Amino acid sequence: MSPAPHAPLFVREMGLPARFGLYVLICLFLLALDARYSALSGVRAGLNAMLHPLQMGLAQPWSWLQGAAGFFVTHGDLAAENARLRQQQERLRAGIQDRQALSAENARLRALLAQPPRPGVTPVVGEIMETMPDPFSRKVVINRGAAHGLSAGWPVVDAVGLVGQVTRVYPWTAEVTLLTDRDQGAPVQNLRNGLRIIVSGQGSDTLLEVRFLDMHADLQPGDLLHTSGIDGVYPAGIPVAQVVRVEPPRHTPFARALCRPLGGVGQYRHMAVLKPDPVAPGATVAKHGDPARDPSVKHHAPR
Amino acid sequence: MPRVDLNMEKPLLPQGAELAAPPTRLRVYASLLLALAATLLPWADQIRWLVPDFTFMALLYWNIRAPRLAGLGAAFTLGLITDVARGVLMGLNALAYCAAAFFVLLVQRRLEGFDGPRQTLQLAPILFGKEALVLALGLVMGLGEADWRWLAAGLAAALLWLPLAWLMDRITDRPAIPPQTDLGIRSRP
Repeated sequence: MSPAPHAPLFVREMGLPARFGLYVLICLFLLALDARYSALSGVRAGLNAMLHPLQMGLAQPWSWLQGAAGFFVTHGDLAAENARLRQQQERLRAGIQDRQALSAENARLRALLAQPPRPGVTPVVGEIMETMPDPFSRKVVINRGAAHGLSAGWPVVDAVGLVGQVTRVYPWTAEVTLLTDRDQGAPVQNLRNGLRIIVSGQGSDTLLEVRFLDMHADLQPGDLLHTSGIDGVYPAGIPVAQVVRVEPPRHTPFARALCRPLGGVGQYRHMAVLKPDPVAPGATVAKHGDPARDPSVKHHAPR
Repeated sequence: MPRVDLNMEKPLLPQGAELAAPPTRLRVYASLLLALAATLLPWADQIRWLVPDFTFMALLYWNIRAPRLAGLGAAFTLGLITDVARGVLMGLNALAYCAAAFFVLLVQRRLEGFDGPRQTLQLAPILFGKEALVLALGLVMGLGEADWRWLAAGLAAALLWLPLAWLMDRITDRPAIPPQTDLGIRSRP
């Protein structure tokens, strides 16, 4: 080893172990001070302030390099990304359409569920699986059946009004005859004056009719017809139809009225079956007809 | 009077390799600063634990070559700077640096005469032990979970000692071959 230029010939200083011991003591002291009393935050902050520009300066070329690398992205990359984005946009557009349909359906379902609860019945919401391929009848099949506690004869409503009636029950599905079916009728009451009549389908999707109307009956276009409840099938007060036209008698002694159904008959995918509460009104029954808990299932076993 | 023709091409005494000039203060501290900068580089987090402590390696290098310029005091100072830069307890790295420098200074004469590979073998335990000491101190001081992968930095430092020492030799104008090795051992019949 060659000594430093101005080192004294005979060095008078502490030996290496002594100096080492001294430094160790200082270090331990600093450690204790920092760990126990955090008394060195000022010193640390000062040192850090000195180091910070150095660190920033060292990091800067890296960020420049990254920026330059990003600048030289090849045309191919951009084209590929463009194509990918285009595809993604197509997918997203389809997704948006789906979403719009879903949100409309959701709104309808919400309306269905938000109906004011009718006393004595529990709605069981079902979805239409198919319409019966029969040109002479208006029937649909919903995905609720005997397993969900359904039974034939129960009324089917949507968010607005009466839609039909359960006419046949299978284990997992049920057949609903719509109000517009030719053989389907509902006892109604004119909301304006309490006149009781029977509305029946006529095979048209958009119109119902009142057959055999007394020629002097007080029925005017615009009258609202609600179920009367006297038949024991339909609960009272379900909106059914609005009178469109009253035809005076022509060949028969009876007048005839044409009505427009209020409920979306054959329009929506979801409808609610009104399940009469088997026990006293007000008792809670499983809403979706849990067969394990619902005592009425036994009585309405699949045929 | 016969004139003795002194042949300057052939010296009278057998001469060894060129002696190394003592490194100047500027070179020592500038290279230490450079090593510190290399340590402070924004290394990616995935390899951060693998990056050796260049500051520490430069310190050991100068501990061997110029112990009067970079001794325990330099170790302590650099350790404190490292503490601040890494945001650990003050004195943690300083203690580890001092301990390592102490052991290197103890055997400084021997290490000075060694060539690269032998130095590596001698220094590997110190390079590795320093990382272990830092981790152990952190555990003792209750810094929480120790990431034991950081021990790999010690091994990486040992592997990198040879090229780094060579680089430092070049930077600081040291002759390629340590003079004492040639003079002392190989030239004897």
